Amino acid sequence: MKFFQSPRFFILILFLSIHLPLVQAQGNRDFMRETGKIYVVVGVILLIFIGIVWYLIRLDRKLTKLEYQLNDEKNEQPN
Amino acid sequence: MWWKSLSVLLIIYALIAGLLIPLKPGVAYVAPASAKAGQSIRLQVHGYNTFYTSAQATDMRIWLQYDDTQAILGQQVQIISDTTVEATFELPAALPRATPSVMLNVIVDHPIDGVSLLPSALEMRADTAATAVAANWTKHPVGQLHVVKDVSFPYRNVIYESIRNTYYHVPMWFALIFMFMTSVVYSIRFLRSQDPQDDRKAIAFTEAGLLFGIMGLVTGMLWAHYAWGAAWSNDIKQLMTAVALLIYLAYFILRASFDEPEKGARLAAVYNIFAFATLIPLLYIVPRMFASLHPGATGNPAFGSQDLDNTMRLVFYPSIIGFTLLGCWIAQLRFRQLKLEGKLLGID
Repeated sequence: MKFFQSPRFFILILFLSIHLPLVQAQGNRDFMRETGKIYVVVGVILLIFIGIVWYLIRLDRKLTKLEYQLNDEKNEQPN
Repeated sequence: MWWKSLSVLLIIYALIAGLLIPLKPGVAYVAPASAKAGQSIRLQVHGYNTFYTSAQATDMRIWLQYDDTQAILGQQVQIISDTTVEATFELPAALPRATPSVMLNVIVDHPIDGVSLLPSALEMRADTAATAVAANWTKHPVGQLHVVKDVSFPYRNVIYESIRNTYYHVPMWFALIFMFMTSVVYSIRFLRSQDPQDDRKAIAFTEAGLLFGIMGLVTGMLWAHYAWGAAWSNDIKQLMTAVALLIYLAYFILRASFDEPEKGARLAAVYNIFAFATLIPLLYIVPRMFASLHPGATGNPAFGSQDLDNTMRLVFYPSIIGFTLLGCWIAQLRFRQLKLEGKLLGID
């Protein structure tokens, strides 16, 4: 699960989402421009989604750190 | 909380309506793209989102138009497919104006699709420098057009379907300004109250604003790559937003560079006020003083009737509200995390 919260995972997703359309574009030069440039809209929505998920991952890691700190404090208290 | 559900509903509505409502029929291009005066040409018109076969060829009219009164009507209209139609034009021997060449608009009138137009579609060149202005330009002025009222988005050349980005790229900037506005209000409140809760809210809203700024810049670059030909063309709005985002990035660096968090918080709050004061000219005043590739630079961008029609408004405004509420949600989550952290570290 750690991998999904690492920056490496984020960069991988970012790379794939930008790279895959480009790879397809090489086979068909006008992939992004065909059908009225609708894939530009798809790309924009995808980028917004990636941005929100990136923020969620950052928040997730901060909360994990807080949980660790909370557990440490509890462990220090005598029962 | 009701507004969280509302934000999700509005964004889902903006996604569904923004992607499913069709574009108006348009003219993509014509062939040939240039002709000589006095020639008789067979012009092929290629439509976009059109259904030419849904009507008889005799009910369709195609003009090569120069201005309100001067136009040539196409003869022998023949519908080849839903997106292709042909007509013969007898080009007059002289141009409507005494210049070497003129650009003519193509206007297609269809009983069901309605009227569609391609500006400067055909270049008409004169053999010799024309002197006399021909009279047969005014025989068939454009008129009696079919205006179709339906729910559709405007057709724009070059942009085509990516006009839908108006509902996803532009609300980023509206959400950004609401986030930064809220954050500066909390910064001022913090300076007066010294309550760390106000400072945390300011941090949370600044972060959400910065997130929207980055998303707006990146989505804008993707759109620009396909609409303007380059992801970064040093457009005045691109430059100014990049500067504004760097100023807000410095807010976090400034805060982190203090050993005493309280001192850093106070200075960051003052800095936030100055950052907001520079944001307004950077985003709203300077771009209006220079030529920009963005539409609506001379008026109020995104509010003018040139860029938005009423159907677009029905999707655009809910999208702005949706993304702004989503930003409040994101900021609230971050604020709650900061509050917990403060409690845990015993700062309160």
